[in-house]
Amino acid sequence: MSLSLSSAAAIPSRTSAASQPQVAAASATPARTVMAETAWHSLLWLVVANAIGVLIAAMLLLPHINLFLNPWTYGRWMPAHINLQLYGWCSLPLVAFLFHVYGTDRSRFALWTRPALWIWSCALAIGAFSWLQGHSSGKLFLDWTGYPRVLFPLALLSIWALLTASFIDPSKLHPPATIASRIAKTLGLVCLFIVPFLIYIASSPAIYPPINPDTGGPTGASQLESTLVIIAILLLLPYGLARRKSPRSASLAVSWIIFAAESLLCLGLGRADVSHHRPTQWISLGSLLLWIPLIPLYYAAFDWHPNTRRWRIAFLSWWAVLVPTGWMLFLPGVLDHFKFTDGLVGHSLLAMAGFVSSLIIFVMVQLLGDDGWIFNGTWSFYVWQASVLVYVLIMFFAGWREGSNPAFSMIPGTLRNAIYTLRLLVGILMLVASLDWFIDAFTLLRELRPHSPSAPVTP
Amino acid sequence: MSKLKQLASGWRGICLVAITYVYFLIFAQFAFLHRLATLGIADTHLKLVMASMAIGGILFSLIAARLQTATPPLSPSARLRAALILSAAAALLTLLPLNLFASLAVAFLIGTGLGLLTVTLVTHLPTWLGPTDPILQVGLGTGLGYFICNFPPIFAASPQTQSFIAATLCLLGLFAVGIARPMQPAAQPQPALPPPARTLSFPIVLACFTALVWLDSAAFFIIQSTPALKAGTWVGSAHLWLNGSLHLAAAIASALLLRRRGIGVVLSTAFLALAIACLLLLDPNRALLASLFYPVGVSLYSVALVAYPALLFGPATLSNRAHRAGWIYAIAGWIGSAMGIGMAQNLRHVPVAFVAIAGTVILGPQISHLTIRRSRELTAVAAILTLSLLVDLALRAHHTHTPPLSAIERGRRVYIAEGCINCHSQYIRPNSTDVLMWGPAQTIEELRQQHPPLIGNRRQGPDLSEVGGRRSPLWLRAHFYKPRQVSHASFMPSYKYLFQNSNRGNDLIAYLNSLKSPTYPQHIQAEQAWHPSAAAVASANPTTGAHLFANYCATCHQSNGLTRQTWHNDFKHLPPTLSTGSWSRLQPSDTPAQRQHILARIIKFGIPGTDMPGHEYLPDNDVADIALWLSQSIAQPHQSVTNHTTTGELQ
Repeated sequence: MSLSLSSAAAIPSRTSAASQPQVAAASATPARTVMAETAWHSLLWLVVANAIGVLIAAMLLLPHINLFLNPWTYGRWMPAHINLQLYGWCSLPLVAFLFHVYGTDRSRFALWTRPALWIWSCALAIGAFSWLQGHSSGKLFLDWTGYPRVLFPLALLSIWALLTASFIDPSKLHPPATIASRIAKTLGLVCLFIVPFLIYIASSPAIYPPINPDTGGPTGASQLESTLVIIAILLLLPYGLARRKSPRSASLAVSWIIFAAESLLCLGLGRADVSHHRPTQWISLGSLLLWIPLIPLYYAAFDWHPNTRRWRIAFLSWWAVLVPTGWMLFLPGVLDHFKFTDGLVGHSLLAMAGFVSSLIIFVMVQLLGDDGWIFNGTWSFYVWQASVLVYVLIMFFAGWREGSNPAFSMIPGTLRNAIYTLRLLVGILMLVASLDWFIDAFTLLRELRPHSPSAPVTP
Repeated sequence: MSKLKQLASGWRGICLVAITYVYFLIFAQFAFLHRLATLGIADTHLKLVMASMAIGGILFSLIAARLQTATPPLSPSARLRAALILSAAAALLTLLPLNLFASLAVAFLIGTGLGLLTVTLVTHLPTWLGPTDPILQVGLGTGLGYFICNFPPIFAASPQTQSFIAATLCLLGLFAVGIARPMQPAAQPQPALPPPARTLSFPIVLACFTALVWLDSAAFFIIQSTPALKAGTWVGSAHLWLNGSLHLAAAIASALLLRRRGIGVVLSTAFLALAIACLLLLDPNRALLASLFYPVGVSLYSVALVAYPALLFGPATLSNRAHRAGWIYAIAGWIGSAMGIGMAQNLRHVPVAFVAIAGTVILGPQISHLTIRRSRELTAVAAILTLSLLVDLALRAHHTHTPPLSAIERGRRVYIAEGCINCHSQYIRPNSTDVLMWGPAQTIEELRQQHPPLIGNRRQGPDLSEVGGRRSPLWLRAHFYKPRQVSHASFMPSYKYLFQNSNRGNDLIAYLNSLKSPTYPQHIQAEQAWHPSAAAVASANPTTGAHLFANYCATCHQSNGLTRQTWHNDFKHLPPTLSTGSWSRLQPSDTPAQRQHILARIIKFGIPGTDMPGHEYLPDNDVADIALWLSQSIAQPHQSVTNHTTTGELQ
């Protein structure tokens, strides 16, 4: 279940790897190609979604752009932007993780990963087109409706079928797993099977999650629930990616116990429409603060590829910022001030571009191993991180002003325009950084292409 | 040697390519046509003159190819010099007062010069290019050619000046040719072919070029001859700089693409850009957007038009290369161009069917190549797409008995489709300032009856859950047409298109108008009890108020107000021009403080039941400023005195 780590000394610089395509191609394996292709697809959607992000940021400053693009106006680009980030950029690295865990990248089914990825990307492209055409369920992040609402779950099912086939493949050449591992993977497949149906059902306009009656947003229990799903993923990821430093680890045991306790707490809170002014809600959500030290300790219990270092630090740092700020923003008085403002937009970006993006790049770098150089350009790393930081700070400031005076954002003044211009600029910087990764992923793929997956290879 | 020096080593080739393009674009395609117009040559005569040019071009494109094997042999430099002199002479001759026959002769001469120039140059181009990265040098030459043509002083010059510039450049080109030391054919560089280039046979490439030139010429002619389109594409120096930059960037990108991905990808990309431009040109409102795609498409294939016969043709003999260049320029260049202009003249647009046929010709080989190379991926994708379609159809079959929707229900669908939820919430937070601003809060039960609730999570604009109580249908319509006309500094897009050839706009208004809870009348009572804070009243400034009035109120309350003029006949009651009265809401007996409070309430919440909207989001200070200015300056029920203009100056 664990990844064979490459020699710590073998950390190729970007230039050395790029300038030696023959060497790279010569040692190409199906697993490397599968990971490179998945990285390419996810980065493609990052670039597309970021480009749309730049467009919509520009539209808020120069509304005349809408005239040239109508009927593809701001409101239609928004679902394309957020859904492509979520279902493209953020999800595909997890698909790569699953390919690795279920041995698809090392099995005879490796050659079917490319079709599966293209099915996923086609479903996203068709989904984006349908949103631009004005087809939406009206539910944020669950805009799937009509044909794409069927197509995207089927794309997920095709991935599931591939994982299942790799898992039960009797001719696979990788070493037999332990019973515990097989049970965990079987349970994983059962859960993954449900996901496409959940997405289909959750996209229905008739279903709506619990509502906080004082804000119209999610309740504390809902936020606890969704954060625990993230924590579950955080806790599971290392088992599929790396070896434990020692068989027994207190931080691992403590983390799982706390996770179980919080899950019980979440169950106890139920799914009622409850205000954030209820102490049980914000105190329960406050229990997540325990994870600020726990997650770094948990990850320290595993051996990671040296290429992952900067991204591991980055995602853990953003985690340390995300959790307390998320909790503080839920507190009575604070949420009342920031609700519906740019402050929460800033926090969403902190979560997605700061924490989640750093986490999934960390996962991709670990999976890519020595090929992880594509994400390790120094300037692109710092440009991305600094841009996220600036974005979050200025949006919090804008949200603070807006909370006191709604006219601040509704009637653009000099300060609002300056903030939005700065946001546009950092958006462009983030797009440039993502383009850099995408070009490097493309280069890597070209280096590996002559040895596309065609036969099973022993890992 | 640095990259720049390597590129510069091919300056002769770069200059010659640029000069040829400038001559063709700014003179043959542009200045000469304008010159003919000033000479009174039009309609059938114009067609004859252009036909004469085309005959000269086709003949001498083919003859130039045969000169390769002529006896006695003539060196490439001598032939190119002759072509440049001929072209320069033709350009200078157009400065004379020509009659029809002279024009026919000069046009033939232009075609002759261009035929000789293009085929000779392309056949022997490696002679004048540097040894390193010749494709990039071709890209640079082409891009510079287009950039020079879009240089505003040149683009906007008179036809005579443009002709003179073209002739001068041709003569300067003689220097670039003359100094060159031609290499022996055997020593000429043969750049490595990108793999995809080999997969396209010459007839297919020829057909692709013909289709692209056809599209380009048609689009060019349509833009040139349609004032509305021309105004949206080639007017203003900023636009010309942008066009020039796009041409240059696309030309360089084309060279890089040619080097890495081959001619098939370049031609396909060029087609996509040109096809988008042609389709956008069907709607004059999209001319600006088309103007971004058009130069990209043109430059992409223009580089290939030179690089393909000159450099990408593989190990062919000079004679072979010359012959194929001759065919490309004769058929694709001259005939394709004539067909495109003919189509544009007759139809005034590029038919969608033609774009589809051109797409089949150009993308067909790429798609077929892709189908063979990626059969597994394509099969899998096609299978899932088909399966999804079948499942979707089956699911739809279960929901065939849906009752017809009311206008309000249809309007709600428009609200969802246009993504209004991304800027407008529909949730008034109870016990918060939301209630006074936007209206009474709904219960969770009421919300859950909506499928789905459209709560939203960001307010770029006001909450809309009670907008039917706050805004009249007329205001909503005016706002959808031109948001800034009724809502100062609004950055909401115009949704005028919802009202054009569709009832979607009216449905949306019906839906928004329905967003009013039964308890709204009680809310109006709460509004009537409101007054601005004492601090805001105390610090109110009439000069600021006058500026705010100009921004927020003048559009309806001044005789020349835009909203008032646009929707004059649609108001329930025409808004009074406030500088002259009538003040039905004020009484002569009101004290100044009472007047100020009444006005402040009207400014803040509007007048229920009329088209007068509120400005709920304005802070108390702004409301108090306007109210003070109005009450001191023009809101005198018993007299009409104006002390300030609406822009704030004291009178």
